[in-house]
Amino acid sequence: MRLSTTNLSVELSGREVLDGVSLELGPGEVVGLLGPNGAGKSTLMRALVGLLDTPDVLLGDRALSTLASSERARKIAFLPQEKTIGWALAVRQLVMLGRIPWRAYGQKPSVADEAIAAEAMRLLDVDGLAERPATQLSGGEQARVLAARAVAQDTPFLIADEPASGLDPAHQISMMLAFRAVAAKGRCVLVSLHDLTLAARWCDRVVVLDRGRVAADGEPGTVLDADLLRSVYGVTAHVAYEAGKLVLAPLTLSEGGRP
Amino acid sequence: MEKRPAAKEQGRGLSRPPLSCRTSLRCGGMAPLIASCLILSLTGAAPAAPPARVMSLNVCTDQLAMLLAAPGQLVSVSELASDPGLSYHSALAASYPHNRGLAEEVLVAKPDIVVTGAYSLHNTTPLLRRLGYRIEEFQYSQTLDTIPGEIRRMGTILGAGSRAEGMAATFESDLSRIESERCGADPAAIAYDQNGIAMGAGSLVDSAMQAAGLRNIAAELGYVGMAPFPLELLVEKRPDIVVLPEPLADTPALADLIASHPAIRALGQGTLRIHLPRGSASCGGPFVIEAVKALADARRRIVSCQATGGHAP
Amino acid sequence: MSRRSLILALSACVGVFFLLSLLTGPANYGPVDSLRALVAGGDEAAAIILREIRLPRALLGLMVGFSLGASGAALQGFLRNPLAEPGIIGVSASASLGAVTVFYSGLAGASILALPAGALVGAVASVLLLLAIAARHGSTLTLILSGVALTSLAGALTSLALNLSPNPFASYEIIFWLLGSLKDRSMVHVVIALPLMAAGAMLLFASSRALDALTLGEESAASLGIDLRRARLFVVGGVALMVGAATAVAGAIGFVGLVMPHLIRPLTDRMPGSLILPAGLGGAALLLAADVAVRVAIPARELNVGVLTALIGAPFFLWLVARTRREAF
Repeated sequence: MRLSTTNLSVELSGREVLDGVSLELGPGEVVGLLGPNGAGKSTLMRALVGLLDTPDVLLGDRALSTLASSERARKIAFLPQEKTIGWALAVRQLVMLGRIPWRAYGQKPSVADEAIAAEAMRLLDVDGLAERPATQLSGGEQARVLAARAVAQDTPFLIADEPASGLDPAHQISMMLAFRAVAAKGRCVLVSLHDLTLAARWCDRVVVLDRGRVAADGEPGTVLDADLLRSVYGVTAHVAYEAGKLVLAPLTLSEGGRP
Repeated sequence: MEKRPAAKEQGRGLSRPPLSCRTSLRCGGMAPLIASCLILSLTGAAPAAPPARVMSLNVCTDQLAMLLAAPGQLVSVSELASDPGLSYHSALAASYPHNRGLAEEVLVAKPDIVVTGAYSLHNTTPLLRRLGYRIEEFQYSQTLDTIPGEIRRMGTILGAGSRAEGMAATFESDLSRIESERCGADPAAIAYDQNGIAMGAGSLVDSAMQAAGLRNIAAELGYVGMAPFPLELLVEKRPDIVVLPEPLADTPALADLIASHPAIRALGQGTLRIHLPRGSASCGGPFVIEAVKALADARRRIVSCQATGGHAP
Repeated sequence: MSRRSLILALSACVGVFFLLSLLTGPANYGPVDSLRALVAGGDEAAAIILREIRLPRALLGLMVGFSLGASGAALQGFLRNPLAEPGIIGVSASASLGAVTVFYSGLAGASILALPAGALVGAVASVLLLLAIAARHGSTLTLILSGVALTSLAGALTSLALNLSPNPFASYEIIFWLLGSLKDRSMVHVVIALPLMAAGAMLLFASSRALDALTLGEESAASLGIDLRRARLFVVGGVALMVGAATAVAGAIGFVGLVMPHLIRPLTDRMPGSLILPAGLGGAALLLAADVAVRVAIPARELNVGVLTALIGAPFFLWLVARTRREAF
């Protein structure tokens, strides 16, 4: 099954946020969504999750907006950028919230639910925190717990909006490894990132958004070059290869570039 | 809006509810009045000239003054005088201008005498006194005993002594007739007002009950004046007669709901539920005899003189 | 404590205070006589007192307390705001205003049905207004301040409506509408409140999963398949029905919906959805206990039970405000 959109345009409060975006996501890949602040990454993700009610997003050959919300929730999981934890739930319970779409109303979590949640916690390295109140964790721990919640939803598509921001390098990498493990099971992960090297190293494919349009879509090694970084981000960068993988280090603002 | 609460207090301060004067004869008594006028003129007493302009600021003095004043003598009565829930003679009030008990109104009207209640308008009265007005305050009448005296006093103030004398004498004779007609054991009664307030010892209704030959269970239980009385206690004591209030206005209030509480209804046939004539027990005045008569009628429905014979002590 | 034993323990508390409420009153009957009279019925004084005076009072204490506790838990969960409470955010005061406007105007005659009808309208209007405010500015403080403003406005308009009534008793009834009471209610009140409260409870229970999901914020909840519009409708409807009916029959009783969810939450798994039932039971126990206390404390001049809940709840609220700055719940 594929999640796709063709020529998607979205206007929010009179401003064109997305302008003719076409994108297709398929099983088994980790796709990085790149682009400067305000390029429309979050809006595109919300559209792909089905939160914008646009008819232009297709899941398989059906418009996403025609799916019942419960059915949609069994296909696409979403980890929003804003990290909200309303009450001092234990980590284990918070992760279990990801199982809501799979349980009938009032039904207690099954053994299978417990197992999936435990696996998600292990993947995100939060299984040691299982009984801690989630509100008392550090910011990085909370980010991983929330990611585990989204992984526990166990959907063909996982869409994560800047899940790695605020994490230390080790946990950034372990989060990307977790997403790779998810993809290895035939799922698709779309993850927006600001760390270019992280994207280049762990994503099968990157999509670069610039002012609401797709500036590039392809393998990191072919897409992410100095020209693109200059035109999209307005920076000059050191581009190198390390053990066959791309390393990108932004150096300074490019002349005549943005901003 | 400003004056409304004060006006309410004025009405409330002087207690109770509600009916109407059927004939002027029963209320005041025309025949004795004429007789006493004659006597007065024959004896040749020469009282001071009656005041030409009298103003009443209180629903209780309003009613006494309306009954006793000469035509044109009473320049205005209070607004509450035409409230049928509080004023037995509300119909009479229609032909008088109304005041709201404000000192300014008195200054404009320039009456020779102002009559009002002792506990109402406690700011207005001293102010008017300082300004040199003659104020006649009437006490908060609490028992039947004080009523003839109040009638006579109003008569003296208005220069209508003989009319007042006749009215007071009729009241006294009616009262002693009712008292003499009692027989058998006194039934138990309670006057259970809005919000579950009972009329305890010392209240006007309590003295009316005594005159009619009823035991007021609120007074017996030590309740004095107007006091909150638990509904449970009313049910437990199961009085023979429950005097219930009628709403004081056309618009509802929660206070009125107590009269229709299912617990009172559940007391069944053994308990007589009555209303007093509207306004008959709100103020001390000759009309209170109507309340006493209503209580005595209720008593007769419970204790029949034929059945028991002799007179109660 | 497991959920089952918590609910059993709270139910036992409700049972004990319900019984105490039945046995408390100025008429002195022993417990055995009282209960026998309650069961046997008849036209004995004891039976009338138990069935027509004490039973409706105890039932209303239970129902109103449950409604306030459950509504408080649901509002806190829905708004992710530990200070939300029907009394504090102005729902109770608005329900009072609605009831007062319809009843004292005499539009519905003296019919007691005017009370819940008006209270419902007031409650719905206030919850919608507050949700609109909460949607625009999500902060805890904004909602509470809006609630304070709404409470004052509704209180002032209630006083105005009562003062405009030609009935001389109306203006004295302001205290009932601002600080409610369960004195001298009857089975009529139970009958008019029960269906509304039952419907409201159903709506709140039906939104418990949405409340759980909302722990993660609205976008996450929506991505978990929660229909937010439906959840909003259920919470608004449920709270308005329960608080509206409670206010119509007992006046505005504050703080029960604030205190109980906080006392109970640490004993649960802290899931907002699973807090509704225990918070409701706790509210019922608290209000029944408070209503017994006001009858025992000063028997001659019975205090309004709303005064007592405010005496308990307001300091608790202050403590909570101080604590909210530091930690989450």
